[in-house]
Amino acid sequence: MADRRRVNGPGSSTLPPVYDDGELDAALRRQRAPDAIRPLYLKTGVTPSASGSAYLEIEPREGEHGSGMKLTCTVHGPRSLPRSAPFSPYMVLSTHVKFAPFATKQRRGYLRDSSEKDLSTHLETALRGALIADRWPKSGVDVVVTIIEGESTRQDAVERRVEEWDVMNVLGGCITVASAAIADAGIDCVDTVSGGVAALVASKDGKDASIVLDPVALEHESILAACCVAYLPNRDEVTNLWFKGQLPSPASCNHQSLVSRAVQASRGTHGLISASLSEAIGSTQN
Amino acid sequence: MANQQTLLSPAELAYLHSSLSLSPPIRPDGRTAKQFRPLTAETGILPGTNGSARVCLADGTEAIVGVKAEIEKTVDPLGGEHYQEYVKSASGAGGGDAEEDKRGARGEWLEMTVEIPGLRDDDAGTVFLAELLREALLADGEFAKKLWINRRFHWRLYLDIILISPPLSYPLPLLSLTTHLALLSTRLPRLKSEGDEDPMFDDDWEASPFLYPRQGAAAGSRPPITLLVVAVGDSILFDPSKEELAVADSALAVSLCEVRTQKGDESMEVDSGRELRLVSMRTVDPPSRLTPPGVPSTGNFAASGTFDPSSQKKQQQQQQRVEEYPQEGVWKAPLGGTRFAVLDSIIRAVLEKGGVADEVLDGLEGVDLS
Repeated sequence: MADRRRVNGPGSSTLPPVYDDGELDAALRRQRAPDAIRPLYLKTGVTPSASGSAYLEIEPREGEHGSGMKLTCTVHGPRSLPRSAPFSPYMVLSTHVKFAPFATKQRRGYLRDSSEKDLSTHLETALRGALIADRWPKSGVDVVVTIIEGESTRQDAVERRVEEWDVMNVLGGCITVASAAIADAGIDCVDTVSGGVAALVASKDGKDASIVLDPVALEHESILAACCVAYLPNRDEVTNLWFKGQLPSPASCNHQSLVSRAVQASRGTHGLISASLSEAIGSTQN
Repeated sequence: MANQQTLLSPAELAYLHSSLSLSPPIRPDGRTAKQFRPLTAETGILPGTNGSARVCLADGTEAIVGVKAEIEKTVDPLGGEHYQEYVKSASGAGGGDAEEDKRGARGEWLEMTVEIPGLRDDDAGTVFLAELLREALLADGEFAKKLWINRRFHWRLYLDIILISPPLSYPLPLLSLTTHLALLSTRLPRLKSEGDEDPMFDDDWEASPFLYPRQGAAAGSRPPITLLVVAVGDSILFDPSKEELAVADSALAVSLCEVRTQKGDESMEVDSGRELRLVSMRTVDPPSRLTPPGVPSTGNFAASGTFDPSSQKKQQQQQQRVEEYPQEGVWKAPLGGTRFAVLDSIIRAVLEKGGVADEVLDGLEGVDLS
């Protein structure tokens, strides 16, 4: 006997229809120019208890929720190493990258998984090239980056399996925010390092490929290859290079153009870091 | 790589650096810049696995790789049993073309662990190595498709890499070559069932096909190899030893895979039909950044034997200058990054036709696959 006082659901369970047409919604497509990076917001000195800190927000698309990225970084130290640690003529750098448990669609555990550890190693390589570590012998510094909101919070991201490409963007953001936090902590660097990402994306019919800066995997049909660099603009040097993917066979020099576009993206982020730092200096002087 | 500190003095490091930056470079073990260390390799050593290999370098470091496969039910991202039926009805009746279905293959079906004695298995360096090898394998998207059985089932492949001896140098090339051989010798049981039935396999091991098909149908990609290349001054060195890594300005791990294209019958000589494709690269933090700096004798009071407090200020200035400008023969750890031109010349040297990669692949081809 059905309960007639309430509006009951259907008797058997149903699933919403799934349309597998493989077409991208026109509104979801990339509307930025291929060489434009998304607007960023960077603020240093957000955590009073740390010796340096920074917060970076990558703006989501207009009218969208949750396709941006929010990262925070704290720098602790330089402080003396524990007595048990062996002598080091340099500052010992340790980096931690952690997704907050709620940062992605699929919940992350509290223990760092292998991709987070891998990101930490990349970040360490990127920062170690920039630090003048021999000015702090016998001391250690901890750089902790937390990703508060990841890019792939949408269901689409899980369905279309684009997380592997989003990792590149996460690393780019981590490098930028860590560099600003290190500058805020007043640790000597040869230059402020900044992160940039470029990707080779296939067009709809899969025939021709083009290079875009700061790619969002959801906005493209498929990504063929991606590259993330950590770049020192004043020295014109790369401290970390990460490339993966499949380049179309005839163009042998495509990796060069991909890297140079990634460098171009990191030049853009570098402008942001210096603007944010000079703003911070201006506010302390007043 | 924190545990890989060498016990070389700053003077030794400076000497090593200058002899390696000569053209041609003089390496401590007498190799040329593009020469690999000799190695012995064998495959099919572990009867309990689907494929295995062992590679032993001349300096005594040895790695074993075992590949094991299990059947697993494919779980949908939407978490519903009905999903498959929806897809089936949407794509018009069952048994649609398999190529289309194989797009559902996922990289997660490959599990890779690296074990290095003396290092914890959750150590950042070990995880970095495992991710590096895994990423190279999955980069072209072809590998996951090989693990697809039907819409409901797939193979889960466990690739376990064990370094038997403590690492004498950065073990990346050794592990990569061993993985390459193990994957080439991997066989999966022959499928007897059809369509989306529960899979049934032929129990004749002799009939089992290789994961990477042999010469007959040689077209398609082969497992990747990863080469470690360092730049010291202007010279580019392949397969660096521990001492060479300790003075390297930059280190780059380049993964490439060989794609064989079949062009009718005239491609009898396989070597000429080989095409190398870059699949991934990563900079590796060179341990040279952690080496102790040298002190020039002008700034060393103990050497000059005189200490004049009035000239202390002058000497401090001198110290400052020393920090900024490297002096010939005084070791200083490299600072800053690498110019892209250097990285690019490394990549070119790796991808060069008839270069080191070709030589290594030729060598690996000579290994008897059982």
